[in-house]
Amino acid sequence: MADMITKLAKGAEGLFIKNERFNTNIISFNFYLPLKEETAALNALLPFILTSCGSQYPSFSKLNYKLNKLYGAELSASAEKVGDYQLLKMSVSVIEDRFTLDGEELSKQAIELLTSLIFEPSVEDNAFLSVDVEREKRKAIEHIEGEISEKRTYARKRLIEEMYQGEDYGVSKCGTIDTVKDITCTSLYGAWQNMLSRAFLRVNVVARSMPAGLFDTLSQRLSSIDRQQAIEHLSTKATAKAKEVKTVCERFDVAQGKLVMGFSSELAGDDKTAAALTVMCDIFGGAPYSRLFTNVREKMSLCYYCSASAVKVKGMIMVDSGVEAANADKAQSEILNQLDIMKRGEFSDFEFESSIKGIIDSLNSYNDSQRLIDVWYSLKAHDEIPYSPEQVAGFISAVSREDVIRAAEGAQLHTVYKLMPQETR
Amino acid sequence: MNNMKKQLFESPIGESYVLAEHESGLKIYIMEKPQYKSSFAIFGTKYGSIDTCFSKNGGEQVCVPEGIAHFLEHKLFESEDGDAFSKYAKTGASANAFTSFDRTCYLFSCSDKFYENLGILLSFVQSPYFTEATVKKEQGIIGQEIRMYDDSPSWRVMFNMLMQMYHSHPVRIDIAGTTESIAQIDSSLLYKCYETFYNPSNMFICIVGNIDTDKVLSQIEKGILNVAPVTIERGEINEPQTVVSNYVEQKLEVAMPMFCLGFKQKIASPYRRLKSKVCVALLLQIICGDASPLYEKLMNEGLINDDFDCEYFTGRDYAAVIFEGESREPKVVAEEIKKEIARIRVEGVDKKLFSAVKCGMYGDAIRRFNSVEGLAMRLVDCAMFDYDLFEELRLLKTVTYDDVMRRLDVFDEDNAVLSVINPREK
Repeated sequence: MADMITKLAKGAEGLFIKNERFNTNIISFNFYLPLKEETAALNALLPFILTSCGSQYPSFSKLNYKLNKLYGAELSASAEKVGDYQLLKMSVSVIEDRFTLDGEELSKQAIELLTSLIFEPSVEDNAFLSVDVEREKRKAIEHIEGEISEKRTYARKRLIEEMYQGEDYGVSKCGTIDTVKDITCTSLYGAWQNMLSRAFLRVNVVARSMPAGLFDTLSQRLSSIDRQQAIEHLSTKATAKAKEVKTVCERFDVAQGKLVMGFSSELAGDDKTAAALTVMCDIFGGAPYSRLFTNVREKMSLCYYCSASAVKVKGMIMVDSGVEAANADKAQSEILNQLDIMKRGEFSDFEFESSIKGIIDSLNSYNDSQRLIDVWYSLKAHDEIPYSPEQVAGFISAVSREDVIRAAEGAQLHTVYKLMPQETR
Repeated sequence: MNNMKKQLFESPIGESYVLAEHESGLKIYIMEKPQYKSSFAIFGTKYGSIDTCFSKNGGEQVCVPEGIAHFLEHKLFESEDGDAFSKYAKTGASANAFTSFDRTCYLFSCSDKFYENLGILLSFVQSPYFTEATVKKEQGIIGQEIRMYDDSPSWRVMFNMLMQMYHSHPVRIDIAGTTESIAQIDSSLLYKCYETFYNPSNMFICIVGNIDTDKVLSQIEKGILNVAPVTIERGEINEPQTVVSNYVEQKLEVAMPMFCLGFKQKIASPYRRLKSKVCVALLLQIICGDASPLYEKLMNEGLINDDFDCEYFTGRDYAAVIFEGESREPKVVAEEIKKEIARIRVEGVDKKLFSAVKCGMYGDAIRRFNSVEGLAMRLVDCAMFDYDLFEELRLLKTVTYDDVMRRLDVFDEDNAVLSVINPREK
């Protein structure tokens, strides 16, 4: 993998991921900044405002007209949480030139378009334009308010907030309604400059061949920006064990409850370090053969869904379930009982082998989705040399039963979040 | 070598697929993607939630409880010798199933042991095993699933609209049915539905990925049980053109109102042709796609956000255009959409916008050939409606401005329904 990385500037790298099976190319800019309460909302607005218009395409309809002319080039923006960092991602996906009806150079134009949006936004006197800022602020507020509508996602988010209260990882990836409201045209301009000069940057290219001169052009562009203070390495704090289990219950006008449980794990780190954690979580609650699915859902009918997942970089395990209020306590003790079974190594060889096969099978399918490949590498920014899905498949196949038992032994309940119907219902 | 009738379909973009027909009437669509590591297979039946009244081989018409197709899907995973999930667990494949209004599909994806997985799929879909005890247990699980959807505003806003749009068409009922309707299901009803709709003559298999067509066909030929084809007569639906009411609202735990605006289309035949679907999709992009003047206006006036979307919702004996999203002012958005349709009827649209949108949709159609899963799903549409997968690309090159503008007749403003989910008062 090392030969895929090109240094573009201090704290900035280009990553070329060759893949010959697609009809499209993807180029993504991934900016990583520390996740902090004071700046989360500001930073999170950047990918959205930057991809909604630019100095060359001042209105939304003009920009989208251009994207249609580029054979439906897709511009995407997101703000994600990657360990203790915020990932500000902007990408363009465009069909290969060979499919055009008139021989247009689509990829070249699409890359130029995305680069101009990021580096030459629509600004005036060191400030973004008020009409754009107000529109994006409104959308961000509506998005945050709207999170409450989908209870499953909301309950997961609330668990993280409670589990990491006072820590960076507990900060919401899009900030809060109040911090969005405080954003001004000038403060957003400052955040944009900070992103260009300070963020760790990785530019991913997933394509049949490397677009000629792309990394040289970017390198030149970045050389005009002062990146003395640029972040060069990402490091995330592992989850500490809780001194005592914290339980939070909130009531809503809903028919069905949600029960989310957060555990600390002794395994935290990259895909190699935490390979056993991946397998443990899969046997515990990852797939239809898992302990939680077959026992808590199927045999005992305690939940409509009940699954476990791990955040490796944080060393954290989350169990997420939908329960009837009357079954919540029973479900919680049964989930803990299943974890104890994992700790005692009382899972079957069938479960263990199914899990290894299932994980490897899905890792081997990764390279069949261009979007997934791009996301895969953008989530690996903590690693100096990111592992490929095939390499990770190798680590998984080396995991033993004893490794899984040790991974389970290191799991300790930290926080429980319950979202329950009103008691009168 | 197998003896099935085979037809090869080719395209100028270098993709091709084979359509084969088994003597039972089963249709098989196979697209090889040798450069891919994974494969995706679907075994499906033309049987969904709207097939509630039917007769088999000219017999008496029976009507079954709502939600039974979905119930049957859940139960089919269980066989006498264990459930299908544990069989797939041995191979590492990832398996699933879904039921929609008009189809039920069983699927898996894998990057290894494809033929073994195909064997599991062929076997469990053809081995029903229902007992009173397993049916009883499933009623509990599905009951919880229905309750989960009761809390989902995006699900409710859509079905509340369908309830007001249709008087009698079963598309108005939740795919999973209701807790009352599924309580009436028993094993004999399940067998009755299974024996009617899970006959190979009413089924299809669609496979895309790193596979060998001849090897797959031989395996299917051996794996399909020898049963006599059936004729299925689906109950006639007497649906008037009018809607039940033009407005419906419900209060749920949401932060901002959600809306769904549907225009019920006057239809003369059960199904829409692909050309109509492509033209309506283009028309919708022109009216309110992200390059349209209406989209920009609604966005800048704070009336919609990125959740705004529209679709042409059509199947057997139903068709509607649906706009949906979140808005502080759903009624204003509905009025703006109606005003824009009226304006376009009179003034037409910018021809440059028409050609840009057409170019964009052509690119989207090419892009869809990237995904083995997406292609398998689209082959299911081909099987359901007898389309050629490459027809869309041809249409997107040839449809004209006038073809598209003629489709403005899908909008019958008198028979529109606005469904709104409002926040509960605190």
